Amino acid sequence: MPTSSTKYHHPYFTPAEVEHLSEKQRGKLSKTQEDKVRQNACGFLEALGARIGFPRRTTATAQNLYHRFHLFFPRKDFNYFDVALASLYVSTKMHDTLKKPRELLSVSYAIRFPDLAAKSKHPGGEVDLDNMDQQVVEHDRQRLLAVERLILETICFNFTSRMPFPYVIKVGRALGATKKLTKLGWRLAIDCYRTLLPIQYPPHTIALGGIYVAALLTSFEQPPQAAEPGCRTSQDIADSLSDHGVWEDQFHVVVQDLEDIAHTLLDLMIQGMQNSSANTSPSTPSSPHPHSSSRNIHAHAAQLPPAPYNADQLIRLKIAMREHEHTPRVRQPLGNADPTAVYAGEDSSTFGRNEGTVRFLFAPQGVVEQGLVGD
Amino acid sequence: MDPFEVRMHALGLLKRLNASQQSIQKLVTFAVRNFTQCGEDIWTCIVEECENGSINSRINILYFLDSLCETCLLLASRPTSSSSQVNAGIASGLYVKYLAQDVAKIVKSVVPEGREGLPNLISTKQILESWRTKRIIDPQKVDDVLSTLNARKAAGTTSEEAPTGSSARQSSSLARAEVFKRIEEDRERHKRLRERRWVQPITHNPASHHPPQLASFLPLPDTDGALEVSLDIEFENDWETTSDWNEDDDEAAREEAELCFPAEGEGPMDLS
Repeated sequence: MPTSSTKYHHPYFTPAEVEHLSEKQRGKLSKTQEDKVRQNACGFLEALGARIGFPRRTTATAQNLYHRFHLFFPRKDFNYFDVALASLYVSTKMHDTLKKPRELLSVSYAIRFPDLAAKSKHPGGEVDLDNMDQQVVEHDRQRLLAVERLILETICFNFTSRMPFPYVIKVGRALGATKKLTKLGWRLAIDCYRTLLPIQYPPHTIALGGIYVAALLTSFEQPPQAAEPGCRTSQDIADSLSDHGVWEDQFHVVVQDLEDIAHTLLDLMIQGMQNSSANTSPSTPSSPHPHSSSRNIHAHAAQLPPAPYNADQLIRLKIAMREHEHTPRVRQPLGNADPTAVYAGEDSSTFGRNEGTVRFLFAPQGVVEQGLVGD
Repeated sequence: MDPFEVRMHALGLLKRLNASQQSIQKLVTFAVRNFTQCGEDIWTCIVEECENGSINSRINILYFLDSLCETCLLLASRPTSSSSQVNAGIASGLYVKYLAQDVAKIVKSVVPEGREGLPNLISTKQILESWRTKRIIDPQKVDDVLSTLNARKAAGTTSEEAPTGSSARQSSSLARAEVFKRIEEDRERHKRLRERRWVQPITHNPASHHPPQLASFLPLPDTDGALEVSLDIEFENDWETTSDWNEDDDEAAREEAELCFPAEGEGPMDLS
């Protein structure tokens, strides 16, 4: 007789849990190789989002779901586009920006096989699925749906998802940041989704982290600025957020969290600069198209523009930060030492199956038992 | 096809235009394909039909223009290997520049003064707003047209009179078939709108095959208006519409903080 069991939604993980779970799923890959695959997947999702016109929330959640998936499932058993596409599909449902699997597949083929895309008659460059091997398409579609099911179980079918992006604007406004600074903070919040930060910190913390790093980037080793009317300088904001203060109670954040986020983001940027310098070669800028305007960016711009920051400078910033950083806070384990025990052994045979009863609850056990959460 | 044939064909498609995607796409494809030879001619047909058609067909034309612009801008962002003349047309956005020139005139036809224009008023405003958000037309121009519409509406309501007598009843029963047709078409459009409402303007992204860069590496211009990518447009829209930090945010933050950082002494949660 199939047994019944209960699974609790696990919205966040501690850094230690992330480390432990990732290691399990990494298998024979090195950390560097794992990170490369992770960045490829995130880049693939960005490209899909850019072509289809998804709002940030859809792309960000897809990246989040991708990261979460590989805390529970080994990398060797899945290729990254299958998982990324399935994550995106789930995200489109969560955020009411629906696209059918076949539509997603069509755009994904255009990105993965640019020669096919070049032959396409569609104005948007999507590949016409009727021109592709039907078996391949159907196979890919089935795989997408199968991975979707697994993803839904990793989130216990909890479709709520708060995003940091509105908080970046609200917090920026409350702290007196300029619009330009807020914009940079917003972009940094977007980049956070290329890391595992969003599964370790709540969205308002990520938002503050974005503002903090924006303030640091625009003030570190820069000449002192004059404050714009009604606003504070980057230096001023960076100083406030580098130490304990009223802002912690105001926004329910602690300074140690911002420091962790800052280091992770800076590492991401340093890595990004090392990658782009490997890709570009010295060349003269291509001459402007005679009919180009700021709206018609033609595809002949062959080289990526160089990153606006200097890797050495960012490393110095990290060192400067370490000199006055605070003791990281002790994180209570959010689950058993090995949450994947739920998904291993006998239990893994019930995973994704339809026998037996599994109750999926929307919140961690402690919260459910205290009656703090309805559904 | 010679220019005369093209004109005739365009007029035929315009007169048969309804709210279905099929009929819209047919005309869009035709218009785009013949832009280099007869773009201006076709545009003239469109404007004329807008001035002369029934009130229902005018709103159908407006929705067709929406699809047309979307397609034009999509093409403008893709690389092509056609002749340089075709390329020049594509790069300039094809019909979008004609629309920018004539938008006020078209809106005046689609929403004529008085009661006659009322059925089309709300949809027209929605389309204009969407053109503004997606930067299909310069936002200032859209604002100008919208304020003209609003000023008209305010002046018009004070001098409105209820229709009296049998002549009004007769004309409304003759238009019954049109009314039902209009209801169906509105339903079709609302359905499509729901599917497309969230789409960000994608035509501002370079059609590049490079893996996308970090968002924070993108250039950050000092002044507004130097819009480069959809990211900026989405930020601008969010900037304008997001409220200040308030009690709801405070509560949400508290809730999330509790989920992420359980209080001391609560111990690990049992996931078994």
